[in-house]
Amino acid sequence: MNHAKQRIMGWGFVAPALLWTMAFFVLPFVVMGAMSLATMKGRTLIWDLSLANYLELAEKAYLWRAIVVSLEITLTVTLVSIILAYPLAWIIAFRVPKHWQRLALLLSILPFWTSYVVRSYAWLLVLAREGMVNNTLISLGLIGDPITIANTRFATVTGFVHFFVMLLTLTIYANLVQLSPNYRRAAMDLGANALQTFRHVILPLTLPGVVTGAFLTFVLCIGDYVTPQILGGNTELTVPQVIMVQLGRRADFPLASALAIVLMGIVSLAYIASARWLKLDRL
Amino acid sequence: MMRALPWIYLLVAFVFIYLPVAALVLFSFQSGTLPVPPFNGPSLQWYGEILSDDDLMAALRNSVAVAFGSSAAAVILGFFAAYGLARYVLPGSALIRGILIAPLTVSYLIVGLGLLIVLTRSGFVLSLLTAAIGHVVINLPLAFAIIYASMGSQQQNAERAARDLGAGEVQVIWLVTVPILLPSIAAAFFLSVTLSWDEFIIAFLLTRFDVSLPVEIWSLLRSGLSPRLNAIGSFVFLISITVVLFLEIFVFRRNRQ
Amino acid sequence: MKCMRKILLSTISMVAVASNAAAKDELNALVWCDHTDPALIEPFETEHNVKVNLREYEGTGAALALLEQSRPGDWDVLVIDGIDVFRAVEAGILAPLAVDELPTADFFPEVVMAENNSVDGVTYAVTEKFGYNTVSYNSSKVDQSDMEDLSTIWSDKYNGRISIYDYYLPVMGLAAIAEGIPTAKIGSSDLDQIGDVLSIMRSNAASVAGVVAAQTALATGEVDIVVGGGEWLTAVLAGERPELTWTIPKEGAVRWAQSIGVVEGSKNSDLAMKFINYIVSPEGQARLATSSCFWGMPANAKAGDILTDDQKAVLRWNQQPDYLALTQLYPAPDADLDAEMQDLWLETLQQ
Repeated sequence: MNHAKQRIMGWGFVAPALLWTMAFFVLPFVVMGAMSLATMKGRTLIWDLSLANYLELAEKAYLWRAIVVSLEITLTVTLVSIILAYPLAWIIAFRVPKHWQRLALLLSILPFWTSYVVRSYAWLLVLAREGMVNNTLISLGLIGDPITIANTRFATVTGFVHFFVMLLTLTIYANLVQLSPNYRRAAMDLGANALQTFRHVILPLTLPGVVTGAFLTFVLCIGDYVTPQILGGNTELTVPQVIMVQLGRRADFPLASALAIVLMGIVSLAYIASARWLKLDRL
Repeated sequence: MMRALPWIYLLVAFVFIYLPVAALVLFSFQSGTLPVPPFNGPSLQWYGEILSDDDLMAALRNSVAVAFGSSAAAVILGFFAAYGLARYVLPGSALIRGILIAPLTVSYLIVGLGLLIVLTRSGFVLSLLTAAIGHVVINLPLAFAIIYASMGSQQQNAERAARDLGAGEVQVIWLVTVPILLPSIAAAFFLSVTLSWDEFIIAFLLTRFDVSLPVEIWSLLRSGLSPRLNAIGSFVFLISITVVLFLEIFVFRRNRQ
Repeated sequence: MKCMRKILLSTISMVAVASNAAAKDELNALVWCDHTDPALIEPFETEHNVKVNLREYEGTGAALALLEQSRPGDWDVLVIDGIDVFRAVEAGILAPLAVDELPTADFFPEVVMAENNSVDGVTYAVTEKFGYNTVSYNSSKVDQSDMEDLSTIWSDKYNGRISIYDYYLPVMGLAAIAEGIPTAKIGSSDLDQIGDVLSIMRSNAASVAGVVAAQTALATGEVDIVVGGGEWLTAVLAGERPELTWTIPKEGAVRWAQSIGVVEGSKNSDLAMKFINYIVSPEGQARLATSSCFWGMPANAKAGDILTDDQKAVLRWNQQPDYLALTQLYPAPDADLDAEMQDLWLETLQQ
């Protein structure tokens, strides 16, 4: 009797969150999946359960190119951000004096709190031909004429890397400080130098944290609309941009849904690839 | 030289991180209508303009309301779900956990798109409420994960002791569990507020007239190049870091002692 | 007794608050960004003691979808591209307009565009503003004479210095005009030729940009030419940067016109009519013409009495008769051709 009552109480606690997620996440997802099998003729929606949208994805160059562009940019951003953030997190965790660490960490993520939209816009102005970067390079005599940086893939990647370096510094730092100093001491005692210690002890131990951060970066980056839209100059479109075009100009919900499902598919592949190290419910 | 390398890296990193912020703040004081070099003497005209812009200030209030409202809902739902899963043995608890965490792996655009389709086809009017619903969807998994991860045996023992002393379930939760878990509940709330406050795409898709601040800023972006954008960005930044520094100095420092 | 009093007091205060809130009528308008300028909206709000709720939208497709998904009464006023009025009428979105109450006699004759604004003899919308998609440029950085000929505007000479306005209809219209194809006669078979011109444009362009991005690019010196630009793009900047200007090449350019109408099923159709009356009045027209998002020529010529000489100079008021004669309307494709054109556009962007 007590057992059954326990069960009911347990369900009672879990039910609200579960119902919310089912109603406002799972259901929309299923509906979107169904929508991706419909077609838009002119402006009428026809529920014909066809794979026409997915076939369109394979046929039309601008659609599958968007997938390629998204993947290229996201993988570049993830790699570069990890390479830049790890040393920064390391320095804050192991070189900065203990009581300054929190401040250093806070300072390195403070720009998080400028509006995301405005921050991307600010990069546009910084990278402009008459902006800060070009002005500095010219006054240092490194270049003669201003170079075009804004409205290119480089600008998009820079904007992304800026954001994710801050995010990854936070997550990698959290990981590094949890490491017991005993591991390093033991390695040193056994005669390993700094590089060996890093390669064989620290890196494997922090790998789960790095992979989790990388996965988060991947998901957030590939699904982002704002940064490529502001910084990319529309010279090449990413999947979120193409989705928004379908919504904004043609109100083509079926095609937009199909693109969204494909995006989810890519993220799922990334999840499977990193599942070994991922511990999402132990954030 | 090798000794100084970490510090040089730190410096370069900070320059990179603060470059857009510096440009933003500097040109918010631009006297002139274009936020690009050359910088003409400091002027407060743009701050004056944004503070007297009713739409912008309304959007600011809307953002605060949606952020606090949706975060409160997310934390409450997440807390009870974590409590239920940690304290009671339920069949398929791994599946339940999976479902609750799942939204973390889905891009905001997709969450927003799905909700847009369902809500408009059901005849709901888009508003701040629908945007808040979307924000709860994305923040609930985080709140749940953070609170669930911090439920440990120490507090389980305290709860058992309280029950042995005759406390009812409600009392146990309110007087024992919540106080012990307060740091992670607060962390979950704070994180949710931060994410909701600055969230763009879901708010963009799911609001109609009353919009949140990022959406209003986006409209500004599309209706005229001006240092107003710099001003509102710097203004938001200023408020946010004041809050963060305040929390850091008066709340977190105190906890550590 | 005390309980009763409390309930009574709170009810009264709630009713008071509710009726106060209901005192102001509201008008819901789906508009282009130039209608969100407070200088345009506030005089109307104050005079009639109403609140005007504005929502901007990107493309006609999105607006039509939004309206179709809304319930009757959700929206009162719609601003829409002149050539898309018939689509809105087909979708049952616009209500007939009492055009006799409006001062269309004072309009520039070429922009009354009765054929576009009416279906089967019934008028559904009225033109409120017009302008040109042609070329905007930085006169201190390019050769003026190159800007007078469509073939030299996007030539290799300006490789990397060009931005293309991100709207497929006028830019494809310009490409068609460059090939000698009238915009009204564009067909499926012309798309290859148009596509070739677009490719050339694209290969010499640094970016494809919306309104603000194009303005930013011109103002920061990122580009010196915007294909598809016009007074609407540079007039806003002209005060501070007089070297940013526009022109219409000898082959001609594309003319845009926006119309405004009352939404079918509106519960505030009287107020909506008052709003439209305000917009097409000389004062409203002058404010709309110089609105903060983008400038344009007012449909009502009487607005010229209110605009300043400087404003009229920027808008090239005196050259309008020539410009009107030289320019063609947007291409007006049917649904299938439209889909093909949009695909061609997206293909071009991705090159």
